[in-house]
Amino acid sequence: MPAEAVAVPLTVGPGLRTPQTRRAADETSSTPTDRGSMVGQAQSRMNDTELIREAQRGNTAAFEDLVRQYDGAVLRLAYHLTRSEQDAQDIYQEAFLKAYRNIGNFRFECSFYTWIYRIVTNLCLDLLRKRQVRKEDSGVTTDSEGGSYDMLDQVADVRSGASPERDLMRRELGARIAKALQKLTPRERMVFEMKHYQGLKLRTIGEILNTTEETAKNTLFRGTQKLRAALRDMR
Amino acid sequence: MNCEWVQQNITLYLYNELADDARHELEQHIARCQNCAAEVADQREFQGQMNALPVEEPSASFLAAARMRLQEALETAEQHRAWYHRFAFDPTAWLRQVRFSPALASLLFLVGFAGGIGAMYSAMGKGQTPHGVVTPAEASMIGGITSIEKEPGTDNVKVQYDKRLPESVQGSVSDPKVQDLLLYAAKSNENSGVRLNSVEALTGKADDPRVRETLTYALRYDSNPGVRLMALDGLGSFVKDDIRVRNAVLEALLNDSNLGVRSGALHALDPVRADSSVRMALEQLSKEDPSDYIRTESKHMLASMPSID
Repeated sequence: MPAEAVAVPLTVGPGLRTPQTRRAADETSSTPTDRGSMVGQAQSRMNDTELIREAQRGNTAAFEDLVRQYDGAVLRLAYHLTRSEQDAQDIYQEAFLKAYRNIGNFRFECSFYTWIYRIVTNLCLDLLRKRQVRKEDSGVTTDSEGGSYDMLDQVADVRSGASPERDLMRRELGARIAKALQKLTPRERMVFEMKHYQGLKLRTIGEILNTTEETAKNTLFRGTQKLRAALRDMR
Repeated sequence: MNCEWVQQNITLYLYNELADDARHELEQHIARCQNCAAEVADQREFQGQMNALPVEEPSASFLAAARMRLQEALETAEQHRAWYHRFAFDPTAWLRQVRFSPALASLLFLVGFAGGIGAMYSAMGKGQTPHGVVTPAEASMIGGITSIEKEPGTDNVKVQYDKRLPESVQGSVSDPKVQDLLLYAAKSNENSGVRLNSVEALTGKADDPRVRETLTYALRYDSNPGVRLMALDGLGSFVKDDIRVRNAVLEALLNDSNLGVRSGALHALDPVRADSSVRMALEQLSKEDPSDYIRTESKHMLASMPSID
């Protein structure tokens, strides 16, 4: 055993939280679509790279910094997709724990962004498949305390204008959309969610779902056609 | 371009996923075809309709709750290590293990204590090292202690341990066994001198993708600027053909903490300076880089580029 191996400084602890890391964390609130140029991507990848390397050495503080760069988007996706706070939180928890356990195997062959989204979408797809089998999904969701509420109440609250009639129409439309989305296959639902609601590029969606951009396009086309047919009478 | 093609691509058009030329043609088509124009309007309305189910940012309390739960779980979570970690000595993990194994810690203390006494005896020239005392040289060869058994009724203990034995291999860099060792040393050795020598030996073999991957890794992640520079040297001639190499060199140009590596990267990118990502990087550097040299060189490279406007 070489003597210098023992003299390696122990890098565990919060000492790693450099201003650069903080800056990287602050940049996360931007949506994937408005991420900048190749230059910006290269820079953010570099910040991620430092954090990933530290996390691979078992530094949980670095991993938590990494989590903070992505967790808002992950939670938003999981919540909109599952329409349940409990399920979204479970997906969030499982995804990041899985990422932490397996980060040693991350070989930098794709971006961390793609990698973490791959984990999240797989978990979401599993849940959607289970729900489809059980046919338990009803449009009524549960909050973190386990209490039930209708997500469409929020639709009305957010968009309510002076007219209660318009409010009612919006609620009705929201309910129909939710129902129509449930009729899609889990994969169609996932592609539509990532494209329409999260604004990701089809090329990225293909990478995340381990498929080609062409397949992602076809899936989006199929999903859109089904939704249009289901909602035609609402227009 | 016919109506069928247009109808199949309206979704992509509205999501801004069509290539520029296809988009132009589609727009030309809908300007003169009423049916397709109506379909575009209908799909646009559909997209607006879907927004009745809004995407909301998770509330601060929701996010905080999720983070807290994760933080708790991370305290006890363990990482799955990659296969080669099993062979590499990780002093941090080792010390952590010792912290939670009082028996092993006390044994190490005893070994250290005995080693100290042994060293003192030999320094004083009073006879030979007592039997059974582990000298520091031997201790450094202990790979791990696997079991300790106490003989009942006596003060004898049986300590079973693995021993590391030094070995050497000699041969051409093309020899797969030698190359495997070099690739391993370039990535995992704690001694920067060893890493530098292995990277240097590998630079001549950069036409092998496996070697290039290791050199790219060294350029990106090695903590020693000398090693990074050496890796850059080996990769320089591949920026044209290997996009991964080009990206790594570009990252080095933008982010490396060492000016020598950055200027090396700048010159290595000269053959591909017309590449859009390189050009964007050069434009940025020529305007705002803190280093006079990088700014001037970037300007110079941009000026020598044929304009496409």
